Amino acid sequence: MRTRVFYLSTTVLLTIFLFGFAFQKTDNKTKQTPKVDNCLSCHKDIDDMPQGYSDYDVHRQAGLTCASCHGGDPSSTDQEAAMSPAKGYAGVPKRKDIPKFCGKCHSNIDYMRIYQPRIATDQVTQYYTSMHGKKLMAGDENVAECASCHTAHSIFPVKDPRATVYKLNIPSTCNKCHGNSELMKKYNLPSNQLEEYSKSVHGIALLKQNDLGAPACNDCHGNHGAMPPGITSISHVCGMCHSSNMEYFNATKMAKAFAEQDFHGCEQCHGNHGVQKPTDDMVGVGKNSKCVDCHDKGDVGYVAAEKIEAEIVQLKNNYDAATNKFLEVREKGMNDVDIGFLLQDAKQNLIQSRTLVHTFDPAKVVVKTKDGMNITNKAIMLSDKEISEYYTRRNGFAAATLAFLVIVIALYLKIKDKEKRKQA
Amino acid sequence: MKINRRKFLNSILGIGGIGGILSIFYPIVSYLIPPKMAEPKVNSVKAGSTSDFAANSYKIVKFGRKPVILIKTVDNQYKALSASCTHLDCIVQYKSDTKQIWCACHNGIYDLNGRNISGPPPRPLEQYDVKIVKDEIVITKMG
Repeated sequence: MRTRVFYLSTTVLLTIFLFGFAFQKTDNKTKQTPKVDNCLSCHKDIDDMPQGYSDYDVHRQAGLTCASCHGGDPSSTDQEAAMSPAKGYAGVPKRKDIPKFCGKCHSNIDYMRIYQPRIATDQVTQYYTSMHGKKLMAGDENVAECASCHTAHSIFPVKDPRATVYKLNIPSTCNKCHGNSELMKKYNLPSNQLEEYSKSVHGIALLKQNDLGAPACNDCHGNHGAMPPGITSISHVCGMCHSSNMEYFNATKMAKAFAEQDFHGCEQCHGNHGVQKPTDDMVGVGKNSKCVDCHDKGDVGYVAAEKIEAEIVQLKNNYDAATNKFLEVREKGMNDVDIGFLLQDAKQNLIQSRTLVHTFDPAKVVVKTKDGMNITNKAIMLSDKEISEYYTRRNGFAAATLAFLVIVIALYLKIKDKEKRKQA
Repeated sequence: MKINRRKFLNSILGIGGIGGILSIFYPIVSYLIPPKMAEPKVNSVKAGSTSDFAANSYKIVKFGRKPVILIKTVDNQYKALSASCTHLDCIVQYKSDTKQIWCACHNGIYDLNGRNISGPPPRPLEQYDVKIVKDEIVITKMG
């Protein structure tokens, strides 16, 4: 009897649990993906689709419908009933309301967890801290809101190359507004950032070499919380990637002096959107030197700049000479493997000595350049040995050929001699 | 001393003969004692004995023309990865204090699976297989 009761109660409980689970699932599904979507079918029939609509939009693909964002009753075939405010129809949101409109779901952790458990849900909060968000809140409807960057009906995940916010597409997405000189004039902003960026070391890496590791606009400015980096944050922004440079620079007296003078850290010497691959003559006292912008002949900084440049240029020249020798060794088909490894070490010293420029201390730079010089000299020595070995082999081959030639001639003459004696 | 034609020819033949024999034997001897030359294509290299390699340390091994970083982790696991930083080709190092792979040039950091986790490196480090054959560490190309 007891066993029967146990089995019966377990079966009832299990049934209730399974039904409950099934209903809950069905409830969620029906809420998000109604079987009938009359909004879409009617709008398609009357050819009144929103601009840029894509069936591959991430929301559409996740099973959301027009009503999921715009409200209304998609099951009704009656236009009035389907688009009735009583059924929650919100229509097309006004620009100023768009962040909140998207935020209905995107700020709801519980809701987003169903579709994208890893997605952040603070985008709207961040947006309102951005320059775009602040201005939109103040009533300026020219600034970017969610749809300006993500589009309204062709939204794709950020890692999808079709997305307007895919890394390679970000510069042109931002440029839609920031390249509009008329619009930017209102905010006293330049409109040539993309042009400058495209020619920069970062822009070439990203846009020409498709190197996704290179920074796009949002890597320095942020995305939802986009702001121009302030004076205090510039070296931190650049330092996210160029951390050694930031560390060296921040430990110098110059960092303090820069702050006092309101100089923009890295940007002061390297520029911002148009940042170029640094050249060795950016230090020193030549016409391209950045040091002489502030330092005068004879002062400590001037002398240090001169010394640092001389050291780096000397190592660079020696490295180039060693590289040429290495190429000659390779061209001659000799053993270049060890020389290659030495050159890799030398290059490392050259790069580190260039990074150490940010200490503005010639003594620290000299330590690296001295190591680099020793390594490049060793590489040159090894290359010379290999080149000399090549000529030894070649001369040996010439001598051997000569020896065989002599034998052949001597044999010929000897045979002739023997024939002559036989005839005699 | 008067040298007649026959003597002269014999001398030339002798000298040429010696030269010819040397020309034949020198390459043979050179072949038996080959010059230091790297193999054109390397698929595996021996990286020393396991007993000579302390835990939480590393060494750089030449894998043909490429440097490979071989790491023995604190729990005695072996990891072999390309030692060329994916940023500017500097040789990376293992930091025994942070248990990470570090590039001294621009402070690029990778985890022990070679994933670029901080700094400018744009890509992960290429991974190599490590096998232990009779107490000897053998690094091979993956796949």
